[in-house]
Amino acid sequence: MEQWADETNAANLVMMFRVPTSAFRLLSAFWRLNVAEELQYRANFIASALGTVFNMATALLTLSLFFHHTTTLGGWDYWEIVVLLGVFNALTGVIEAVLRPGIGQLVLVKPVDAQGFVSFRQLDIWRLTDIVLGLGLAGYALFRLGHTPSLAQLIAFGLTLAAAAVVVYAIWVVLMSLAFWFVSVENIAVLFDAVYEGARYPVSAYPGALRFLFVYLIPIAWTTTIPASALTGRLRPEIGLAAAAVAGVAFGLARALWRTALRRYAGASG
Amino acid sequence: MIRRYAALIRNAWLVDLQYRASIVLWLLWGVTEPAIALGIWWAIAGDGSVAGYARADFARYFFAVMLINQLTIAWDSWYLDRWIRDGELNFRLARPLHPAHEAVAENLAYKARTASVILVVWLVVAVAWPAVRLPFAPGRWAITAVAVVLAAAMRFFISFTTGLLAFWTTRATAIMELHAGMSLFLAGRIAPLALLPPAVAGIAGVLWFRSMLAFPVDLLTGTVQGTDALLRGLGGQIVWLGVWILAYRVAWSRGIRKYGAVGG
Repeated sequence: MEQWADETNAANLVMMFRVPTSAFRLLSAFWRLNVAEELQYRANFIASALGTVFNMATALLTLSLFFHHTTTLGGWDYWEIVVLLGVFNALTGVIEAVLRPGIGQLVLVKPVDAQGFVSFRQLDIWRLTDIVLGLGLAGYALFRLGHTPSLAQLIAFGLTLAAAAVVVYAIWVVLMSLAFWFVSVENIAVLFDAVYEGARYPVSAYPGALRFLFVYLIPIAWTTTIPASALTGRLRPEIGLAAAAVAGVAFGLARALWRTALRRYAGASG
Repeated sequence: MIRRYAALIRNAWLVDLQYRASIVLWLLWGVTEPAIALGIWWAIAGDGSVAGYARADFARYFFAVMLINQLTIAWDSWYLDRWIRDGELNFRLARPLHPAHEAVAENLAYKARTASVILVVWLVVAVAWPAVRLPFAPGRWAITAVAVVLAAAMRFFISFTTGLLAFWTTRATAIMELHAGMSLFLAGRIAPLALLPPAVAGIAGVLWFRSMLAFPVDLLTGTVQGTDALLRGLGGQIVWLGVWILAYRVAWSRGIRKYGAVGG
């Protein structure tokens, strides 16, 4: 109910302004409203930041427990995996801040591209702290490793991180498309959380079957292992190029599935 | 009472049936965490063993975690939080039956469905993969069943009581998340308690966390040896169940009084 009320409010406010013509300007109008709305609830910021710190502490403790019994995991040592955890956290921030708030608001009748609109129209600004804290953690771990990334490595990191964001977005769109066949969208987000848990560790640490799953079928290995490798200097250039290709293919497939789902939906509604 | 329960369970079962896909999703969510933990411990154990756990021991342990976690888990704090915030509690209070009964029935229906799926999957996997086979031991399975019932009852009261905190705070589910984060280590979800640093494992044993999950799991896999360890484990479960029932009674009576006052 609240969400619907919010939506009408937002729509009214937008109509008071000059109606933006491009999707980007529409998007920025929604985000501005969103930020203004969120700033009223500053307590949420504290809660959200505490939640992030708690999650990071849990992840680090889990890792420490593993390393209590071993010195390397899949050929990576402790601080290298902490770099990876930082990347994982930053990407989780992107998901929480940008993708998740759009759940359940399938606004298909608006005259903008529905996929982009459903995906990005709301912004949970507090979860942007996840991105900052995640990158901070990765930086600290690099410091502990005594490794200063070269410019080339930083560029590779930027590119593979962008590719990672595209892959995460593609997986998200595929799951959201499933909502056209199944019932409840919120629960599909749960599935994403479950699957994405696997990206907390370098893919080389998993037994063969899981590794195959994470590289080829649900390509989450490309989202954390590869950018973290770029930062620590493990990444071979051809793997970096492969990451870009994977992002392109994943995006194309996700877009095709979304369109199919949408056509099916339009058909069903008569 | 039995007829009422039969009706409640049937109702919960039918409601769940409408959301079959959701049940599958929650099931996958419950299975991936132990599966990933198993994958990592599998790599660490290699051809040797970690604190006496070889690969096959880890496999049995985490399959038992999947099953027993599904049998004992309780989502009630999320339901109660919503009931209290949205006022859905009102019509439930007006019924001639305590709302906890509906929650218990809902739990039974959910568990019957998800746990039986996991049990079938386990049996199928065991045919192909000897590592996850358990030795035939009906006596131990019977005792495990008792421990599972005690653990499920305790987790129900923990979840229900925490949910009741919604009478006072808007962050009841956050407290439950905090508890879940602690139970990751202390209840044995990420590793057998024997692999934790001894001080941490000690805390898990003194508090209720071991009774929640790790103890029934260790019973099933045969790690609990001797009458003494068995009785101490069951005793701990009974004591903590009593404590949480008490906490529930206090939270319910005070909360209802406060709720009534606000409603005028």
